[in-house]
Amino acid sequence: MKTFVSILRSLRFGLQNFGRNIWLSAATVLVLTLALVSVNALVSLNVLGQTALAALRSRIDVSVHFKPEVDESRVQTVRIALLALPEVSSIQYVSPAESLESFSQTYGGDQAVAASLSEVGANPFGAALIIRGRDLTGYPKIMAALEDQQFASLIEDKDYDNRQAMIARLESISSRAAFGGLAVSGLFALIALLIVFNTVRVSIYTHREEIGIMRLVGASDWFIRLPFYVEAVLSSVAALAVCAGLLLPFLIFAGPYISHFMGTPDADLLQFYRTHAFQVFGLEFMAIAALAVLTTKAAAAKYLRV
Amino acid sequence: MIRLKNVSKTYPNGTVGLQNVNLHIRPGEFVSVVGQSGTGKTTLAKMLIAEERPSHGQIVIGGWDITEIRRAEIPYLRRQIGVVFQDFKLLPKKTVYENVAFALEVCGAESRKIKAIVPQALKIVGLTAKADRYPRQISGGEQQRVVIARSLVHRPKIIVADEPTGNLDSLNTREIIDLLKRINDFGTTVVLVTHNKDVVNELQRRVITIDRGLVVSDQEEGKYVL
Ligand SMILES: Nc1ncnc2c1ncn2[C@@H]1O[C@H](COP(=O)(O)OP(=O)(O)OP(=O)(O)O)[C@@H](O)[C@H]1O
Ligand SMILES: [Mg+2]
Repeated sequence: MKTFVSILRSLRFGLQNFGRNIWLSAATVLVLTLALVSVNALVSLNVLGQTALAALRSRIDVSVHFKPEVDESRVQTVRIALLALPEVSSIQYVSPAESLESFSQTYGGDQAVAASLSEVGANPFGAALIIRGRDLTGYPKIMAALEDQQFASLIEDKDYDNRQAMIARLESISSRAAFGGLAVSGLFALIALLIVFNTVRVSIYTHREEIGIMRLVGASDWFIRLPFYVEAVLSSVAALAVCAGLLLPFLIFAGPYISHFMGTPDADLLQFYRTHAFQVFGLEFMAIAALAVLTTKAAAAKYLRV
Repeated sequence: MIRLKNVSKTYPNGTVGLQNVNLHIRPGEFVSVVGQSGTGKTTLAKMLIAEERPSHGQIVIGGWDITEIRRAEIPYLRRQIGVVFQDFKLLPKKTVYENVAFALEVCGAESRKIKAIVPQALKIVGLTAKADRYPRQISGGEQQRVVIARSLVHRPKIIVADEPTGNLDSLNTREIIDLLKRINDFGTTVVLVTHNKDVVNELQRRVITIDRGLVVSDQEEGKYVL
């Protein structure tokens, strides 16, 4: 009961201190917010980078175009044989008619192409298989299997669109962005550390009389210290609230532009935050509160001498 | 109640505060500690509340050997000793009532207990009518009485007062000393550090004289001899 009363009072003292040094508290909240915003920028960049990579990877496939004289049953036999490979995840059959259709859809407007098609008369396309691997490392195996004697004679043309170069470039960009983001976050964290340290120092200084009296009338060490920790946690809560309050409208406003820029509706940061808010903000809160509390502990050890 | 055995205090910078002091103060005594400036009176008072530690010797208070007291135990010692120090002021932004209540609040006392004790303490020092004033709205003597009221809230067995009349005129001084006498009449042991010759002579109680860190005289019903 006595402890409970003391904890409630510490909370009250912490709140009062926060309010009395409002400008100092505001500065603390501001730097903590900056640190959190930079971390969230980092998180967002990472999410977008991963989405872009996933989108690129999902577009990787091998198109196998069969000679026009190879009939569908042969092609289906090949398909079944290939599906047996552990590296293959799916194979889509494209009939000659579908090939022609997608070709004319792409080039339909072109007079010359239309003219040459009608000159040929019959459908010049063979069937095709579009093979998707389970992951990037499986493709060389799949390509090797297609080189096999029994298939090679049926195949007119293989097209491995691996986008390797693009993926590598995107990976390097996003890792460089992550590094930059990490550096900025680290810098803000360092500044936050210094500001929190100073806030506690000033707060102890402004309360030196009160603290002196508390000691002489027999207040325990933890009761004297607890309000400073309360202040630290309070600042962290406020910073998280401000950060979330800035982030949400930004995402609602800028989300469509970001998706458009990324060229895929999968690049939906708002959706990401909606599903991961608890983890992301929870972790961020724990990190920022730990930073504030540990800094407070250091400052109290230095200036409170209790 | 208070026992010092061969107590010496040398400050880290080499200054000698006290040398080889032996004292025994019994429960209910009213003891004045006198001596010239810089002779170690405040040093003695501070060691009684573990604000300073002795370099040598042993200090026992109410059967509790506080010579090697642990940090975490100091609050419990301080709740048993009421402290009235020279530089131990009131909080200017709190009322008289709040200043007294503060000592209970920060020690985790329940509100009900605070509401019961604070008025009693204010009544003892005669400031019930000025409970809602701020320190700057009352006289120096009254302020010192508030400090005494604050020192009473834990119902201490000992009161240590270091020059409680330091800045007061003779009328206010008399009031404070009368108050301490009344508190002593309830059975509280009082250790009064003072410069004031008249006070000591009028009290006619035990007087311990310290000179350059040494106890040079210790008399029942003593006089100010320096
Ligand atoms: N914290 C300290 N560090 C170093 N020396 C100190 C400290 N406190 C007191 N002293 C020295 O110890 C000696 C005794 O000081 P103390 O304060 O006990 O004297 P006092 O008898 O209370 O004097 P006064 O009557 O002026 O209050 C003095 O020489 C003083 O300068
Ligand atoms: Mg002194």
